[in-house]
Amino acid sequence: MEMPSLNRSMAPLQEYLLQGSILDKHRGPFLHRLNGLCDVVSEMPEKFHDHEMVYHLKGVGVQPMVFRVRRALDHPDSPWHVRYVGQPEIGDKTRQTLVRSYIDVGTSDNISLFLTEMGFKQDHEYVAKGYIFRKGRMKIVVSKIYRMPHQGNTETLDVVSESHVVELSVLAPHGQDQVQEDMKNFAEQLKPLIQLEKIDHKRLQ
Amino acid sequence: MSENLTKLAHKIDFTKDQCDGKNYTSTEGDKASEDESTGTPFQPSLWPWDSVRTKLKMALTEVSVLQDVLNITKQKHYMVLDTVSAEAPEARTGLHLYAKKRTLSLASSVLLNGAERLRRSQEASSKKIVPDFHQELLRVRQTWRLKKVGDTILGDLSYKSAGSRFMQNGTFEVTKSDVDPIDLLDSPNAPSHSQSPLQISVPSELEGVVYIQVVIKRLSDSTDLASAELSLPRRSVPSDTYWQHKLEAAQNAIFCKERSSPRSADSLLRRLFTWLLQLSREAIQVKAKIPHLVIGNQIFSHLFPGVQLSVALCHSTDKDKRMTQGSPSPSKHDPVLEHSLHQLLRETHFKNIYHPLPHPVTGIVGVSKRRCLAGPHAFTYSDMVELSCSESLLDRILKQARHTVVHQWAIKVVDELARSIQDPQISAHWGNISSPLESSIKVNITTPFVLHILTDGMRAVCKDGRVIDLSWEPQHLRDLILSQIAQHHIISVQNLSKMMGWPVLSVNTHLGIGDVEPVCNALAIMLASPNGTRVLSIRSGPVSRVRVGLQRYPRRSAPVTSSFDGDGTPPSDIITDPKWQNLGSAFMRVDMDKIEGRNFVNKIEILMASLTTE
Repeated sequence: MEMPSLNRSMAPLQEYLLQGSILDKHRGPFLHRLNGLCDVVSEMPEKFHDHEMVYHLKGVGVQPMVFRVRRALDHPDSPWHVRYVGQPEIGDKTRQTLVRSYIDVGTSDNISLFLTEMGFKQDHEYVAKGYIFRKGRMKIVVSKIYRMPHQGNTETLDVVSESHVVELSVLAPHGQDQVQEDMKNFAEQLKPLIQLEKIDHKRLQ
Repeated sequence: MSENLTKLAHKIDFTKDQCDGKNYTSTEGDKASEDESTGTPFQPSLWPWDSVRTKLKMALTEVSVLQDVLNITKQKHYMVLDTVSAEAPEARTGLHLYAKKRTLSLASSVLLNGAERLRRSQEASSKKIVPDFHQELLRVRQTWRLKKVGDTILGDLSYKSAGSRFMQNGTFEVTKSDVDPIDLLDSPNAPSHSQSPLQISVPSELEGVVYIQVVIKRLSDSTDLASAELSLPRRSVPSDTYWQHKLEAAQNAIFCKERSSPRSADSLLRRLFTWLLQLSREAIQVKAKIPHLVIGNQIFSHLFPGVQLSVALCHSTDKDKRMTQGSPSPSKHDPVLEHSLHQLLRETHFKNIYHPLPHPVTGIVGVSKRRCLAGPHAFTYSDMVELSCSESLLDRILKQARHTVVHQWAIKVVDELARSIQDPQISAHWGNISSPLESSIKVNITTPFVLHILTDGMRAVCKDGRVIDLSWEPQHLRDLILSQIAQHHIISVQNLSKMMGWPVLSVNTHLGIGDVEPVCNALAIMLASPNGTRVLSIRSGPVSRVRVGLQRYPRRSAPVTSSFDGDGTPPSDIITDPKWQNLGSAFMRVDMDKIEGRNFVNKIEILMASLTTE
C-alpha cells in the first residue's frame, strides 16, 4: 500500500472545493451518472452517515477559531476526525475553484471533552447522510443535511431542505493548479444535472 | 372579404356624407352626432378641402389594395376566396382525407425503402459477397474498444480499469486492407484472412500463444510435483474471421459466441505480463537464503532442499504451437494450485483499484483503514513500519507452492501408512474448507488427531490437547503417525483391562529400558490377572511394534525334582523355601501371530480371557 502522506513533506494542505446542490427528486439520475464516472469497485455507491459538531473558541475582537469534529455513526470503530478549515479564497476568474487551507487529524472519541476543557464552545451540530464517490484524487460527497432538534441526540432528525449538498474536493499541497483544471473538467461532465461552482460563503451570510 | 367590401363601401359613403355635410355647417349638434357615428374626431382644418383630400387619398389607397387582393385571388396561387356556406366543411374533410392518404403513402414508401435497404444489406452481409470495411469495423467495435486518432483507428487491449499497473502499450491498429473486394470475389480460393477488408496490426510481443507456467520440480529425478498454467481457457469454437482470430490469438482469448467477456480476456494477458515483470523485479530484490535466479523469461527458486519452483513465461507463435501439440505435456497438472494463483492475481488487482473510502467522509482519500487508526491508537514506530511493508507477490507464490508440496507429501505419507498398516486401521478425512496456504486432515486411529498443513510445515493437534509442530519433512509426519499407533495399542489395552477386570500394575509412556527405538520411545503396560497369578507385559514401539510377555505366579517348578520346569527357570538347590516360588518368574514371549483374533485388541482379549479361566 502506498502511503501518500508519508512521502509528502509536512507542507500545509489546501482544499480545492466546488459546491452545488441538487433537488431530492433528481438525486437518482445524478447518482447514476456519478457511478458511471467515478472509480467504483462495487455495484452500489458507498453510503455514509456522519455527525458533525462545530466548536468555536472566541477571542476578544478576533474571528473565532472554528474546529469541526466529525464522527461516522455507521462506523463506530473508526476514529473521530477534527479539521480546521481556513478562510476560503475566492480569487479572480482565472482560478477555477475555491481554495482554503485545511488541517486535519484523526482523534479518539473523547475529543469533545478535550476541546471543551480548552475553552471551546459547541456552536452547532448536524447530521449528514449521503453517498461518497472517488475519482482519482477527487472526492465527491453527496450529502443531505439534517437538523438536530435535541442536542446530542442523533436519533430524531429534522430535514433542513428538499435538496442535497454536493461537494467536489481535492486535498493537495499548495500551488497545484492542475488539480483545479481536473476538477473543472469533471464538473463540466456533470453540467446538465448540477452546476458545481465556487460559492462565496461571505455573501451567503 | 365581403365584410371588408361593405365596410369600404360604407366609408366611401361616409366621405360623401361628410363632403355634403360640409356644405351645411349650420348646427353644432348635427356635427357632433356625425362625429360620434363615425368614431373619427372632427378637426377643424385650416384648408377646407384638406379633410376631403385625405379621405379621397385613403379611399384611393383602399381601392388599390382591393384591386391587388382581387388580382391575387384571381391567380389562385397565394390566396383562395372561399364562399361562406354550410357545405364548406364537407368539402374540407374530403381534402383532408386526401392529404392524409398522400402523406401516409409517402411515409410508407420511405419506410419500405428503408426496410428494403436493410434487408439487402443483411443479405449481403450474410452471404459475404462483398465484405465491407465499415461493417467489419462495426463488428470489431462491438467487442473491442476502438478510438480514432487522426486518420488511424486504434484499439486498446490494455485493461487498466481492472487494476493492472502494467504500462506496456497495448494498442492495436485497424487499417483498411489494400485488396479490392471485387478481386476477392474472383478468387474464392484465396486464404481466408486475405478476404477480410480489415487488417489488424498487433504489437509483435502480443502475437502467438502466451501463458505462464509454474512448475514445481524435484531436482534429484527432475519429476514434476505440480504444475500450473496460467492462461485463458482454450478456444473451443473456431473463430470465423481473420481479425477475430488474430486478436484472440494475441490475447489468448476464447472465442465465445455471446462475446460476453472479451475484456476479461485481454485483462488476463495484461496481467500475465505484469506478473512476470513484477515477479522478476521482486526476484532480484528479495533476499533469500538461496537467491532466486532470473534467466530470460524464467525465474527459479528453491522451495525446500531438492525442490525447485520455476515460473516461466511461455510464448509460442502458431507454428511452434502446432509442433508442440503433438507431444503430450509430461507435467502433472494441479488445478488447485492454478486456481489459487489466479485468485492471488485477482486479489492483487482488486487491491490496486480499491481504496477504502474514508469514514467520516472528511478524512483523506486513499489512506488505508489501519493507517487511519494509527494516530488515534498511538501506534509505535515499529507498528508503522510493519504497516508499510507488504509481502511481495513472489513470496506469496512461493508460499503457495510450498504449501502445495507439503500437502502432497502429507497425502503420500498418510496414504502409504494406511495401506501398509492394517492394524489399527488408519482413516483420513480431508477438510473441505481450506485456504491456499492452509489445509487440514483429520487422521483417525481410534483417537483422532488433526493435522494442519501450513506453508513451511505441519502442526498436529492431538486429542489430548497436545500440539506438535512438525517440519516439512515427510519423515516427521510418518514418525508421528507411527508413535500414535504405538500409543493407540497401549491405550486400547488399558481400556480393555478395565472391562476384563485386570488391574494395571504400571503404565510407562516413555520406556527407558529395552531396545532403543530409532524414533520416539517405546511404551509399555503391565497387567495382573484378577487372581494375581499371571502378569501380562505389553511393549509397543513405533518401529519394533508390539511385543507381549507373560509371567506366572507361583513358579511352577518343583524345587528339587524336575530339571527344567515350564517357566524355563533352572531348578535350584539353594533356594528351597516354597515362599520364594512366589517371586515372579522370567517373562515368556507370546507369539501373537498364533493367537486367534481379528486384530491386536481382539487377540489380547482372548489371551486375557484364557489366562483368567486357566
